[in-house]
Amino acid sequence: MALSRRDFFKTSTILGGTILGVSKKSFAEETEQSIADNWGMLNDSTLCIGCRGCQSACKKEHGLDRVGNDPRYDMPTDLNADNLTLIQLYNKTETEYCFIRRSCLHCNYPSCVSVCPVAAFTKRDDGVVVYDKDKCIGCRYCQVACPFEAPTFEYDEAFPVVHKCDFCKDTRLDKGLKPACASVCPRGAIKFGKRGELLEEARNRIKDNPERYNAHIYGETEIGGTSVMFLAPKNIEFDDLGYHSWGETPPGALQEKIQHGIFKYWIPPVALYGALAILAVSNRKKNNDDNQSEEAGNES
Amino acid sequence: MKVNAAPMNQKIWTPWFTVGVIFIALGAIVTLYRFIFGIGAVTNLSDGVPWGIWIAFDVVTGIALAAGGFTMAALIYIFNRGQYSPLVRPALITALLGYGIAAFSIMLDVGRWWQLYNPLLPRSWQGNSPLFEVSLCVMTYLTVLILEFVPIAAEKYKDSDNAFLKSLANKLGPVVNKALLFLIILGVVISTLHQSSLGSVMLVAVARIHPLWHTAWLPFLFLVSAIAVGFPVVVIESFVSAKAFKRSFEAGILSKLVKVTPWFLAIYGVVRYSDIIISGKAGYLLSGWGLLFIVENLMLIIIPFFMFINQKARTSPNGLLIASVIMVVGLVLNRLNTYLITYSPRPGWDYFPSIGELLVSAMLISLLFVGYKILANNFPVLSKEH
Ligand code: SF4
Ligand code: SF4
Repeated sequence: MALSRRDFFKTSTILGGTILGVSKKSFAEETEQSIADNWGMLNDSTLCIGCRGCQSACKKEHGLDRVGNDPRYDMPTDLNADNLTLIQLYNKTETEYCFIRRSCLHCNYPSCVSVCPVAAFTKRDDGVVVYDKDKCIGCRYCQVACPFEAPTFEYDEAFPVVHKCDFCKDTRLDKGLKPACASVCPRGAIKFGKRGELLEEARNRIKDNPERYNAHIYGETEIGGTSVMFLAPKNIEFDDLGYHSWGETPPGALQEKIQHGIFKYWIPPVALYGALAILAVSNRKKNNDDNQSEEAGNES
Repeated sequence: MKVNAAPMNQKIWTPWFTVGVIFIALGAIVTLYRFIFGIGAVTNLSDGVPWGIWIAFDVVTGIALAAGGFTMAALIYIFNRGQYSPLVRPALITALLGYGIAAFSIMLDVGRWWQLYNPLLPRSWQGNSPLFEVSLCVMTYLTVLILEFVPIAAEKYKDSDNAFLKSLANKLGPVVNKALLFLIILGVVISTLHQSSLGSVMLVAVARIHPLWHTAWLPFLFLVSAIAVGFPVVVIESFVSAKAFKRSFEAGILSKLVKVTPWFLAIYGVVRYSDIIISGKAGYLLSGWGLLFIVENLMLIIIPFFMFINQKARTSPNGLLIASVIMVVGLVLNRLNTYLITYSPRPGWDYFPSIGELLVSAMLISLLFVGYKILANNFPVLSKEH
């Protein structure tokens, strides 16, 4: 099959986007400036040595359970309700490999926020995408929607909760501290700061070291941009690291546009109601007028 | 619009009824287990595949198949085709049971069910979410359906020996009857909204659903296919109810009813295929997924289209029934494909429904049949035979 699903995604969203006039602006009132001022993270895979210090720090900070029941502790293999971030190894060849980090990317136009039926996910003014369990009904639409597979759910609990990275907002960020992962990384592979500055920094790193870096900054434009961005070593493609080129339109854009269209001042539903009511009443009148003659020439 | 209906008052405990009750009992055990030990304890759901058959089949497919309620109501009350009025009450109780069951399965599937009233709280309103709209619509429509049932109940109790029921029936019945037309229109509007929104739900899952099923036209296609399947569902329902109550299957009136179905199928087919071709997805038709797509389309669109426009096939009871069954199976396949079968899980994950999930679905289907039998047996739903 010549087309891969992912190739398709790119073209179809661009196409869908232009046909329906969807622009990123149809989302919350984000501006270039407000996005630049958001908190963000720059993950530099060329610096990461895979010590997984960030993973452990995250677990400790959030008080999450260890993996399995065995007292001999082991590494998780996927994001789950007890592991909000994960370091994975991508081995291209003996000498070309890198470690890549996974977590919530705190999207500029987050799909989870678009879809959550009860506004349990919101994007704060400082860009942090946060979750409120008191609103959540546990429908898991956020899991279906997030392209980065970040939200996880406690399937084995009777009273389950959704989990994902929150930039340590309660225990650190709102007290003026950097998130735990960024502060423990011994190699400085995780840089925390304002998104605009981090983007600048990422560009400079690539410019100063074109031999070292893949020229692409992942998260700069993907699905409308993300607060957490990535640099990769030269010769390693982001697609192989699980960071796909999803196109620039946020996945939630089309649906937001349609919902806005329908519920703009409730005009379409009210108009439909009115039209049907007029139709019903006039049909009824007609029926009374020419009485029993309804059978003839009936098309339905 | 005179409806001349009567309770069936037949023996309830037939062998099939017993089978249904057994499935309900088994499903109830699983349900209890789910509420004590969590979703993971009885389902194969995971972070990799968060929605299984409880959503794709019980809720999404169930709601599409319950569309007979609003299409019938629109035909009779808005387009004023009084000759079909014997069919409106059975379609109404099918929709009532269908939506009740869908609401119940939402309750089973959501993890934090004790907060399910949240969509009603303004602090949680989230107009951008199609699921928010669906949840409000399902709650409202269920209320409308219950109100539409009030005149039927009033008819039963208006001469009741129980003084309280009698006075309630005589007070409520006429009030609801006066408002009936406007309730019915409300039901139709709400139905068009949430039938299409169930398509919008999957728009965001562009990274997950196969491109043959993922299109900007999803909401439109979901709405049109739900409208189209409405009357064929009424055909099947009439057949099953005729069998259950040992009445004759009224193929004559039903085959007139489905004359309109090919129109909707044609619109659906033209939009769906034009979209595939215009957006350059035709290449996928040659893959394995393409085969699934074609099988689905044969059953949902092409075979029923030709059978329903063919006078001979349409007017023979067997042809009518077979075409309707094929189309309903096609619709089930379409909803399952869009929500589940073509859904690509997170890398390393997989899904096949567990015994527990299947038992719960069997319970819900049984509830429909058992509930229908009980309602039609006790209330004036089915018209008197002449
Ligand atoms: S990565 Fe996923 S969970 Fe995080 S903000 Fe984006 S859509 Fe939401
Ligand atoms: S699971 Fe909770 S947070 Fe996720 S979409 Fe549903 S209600 Fe929102």
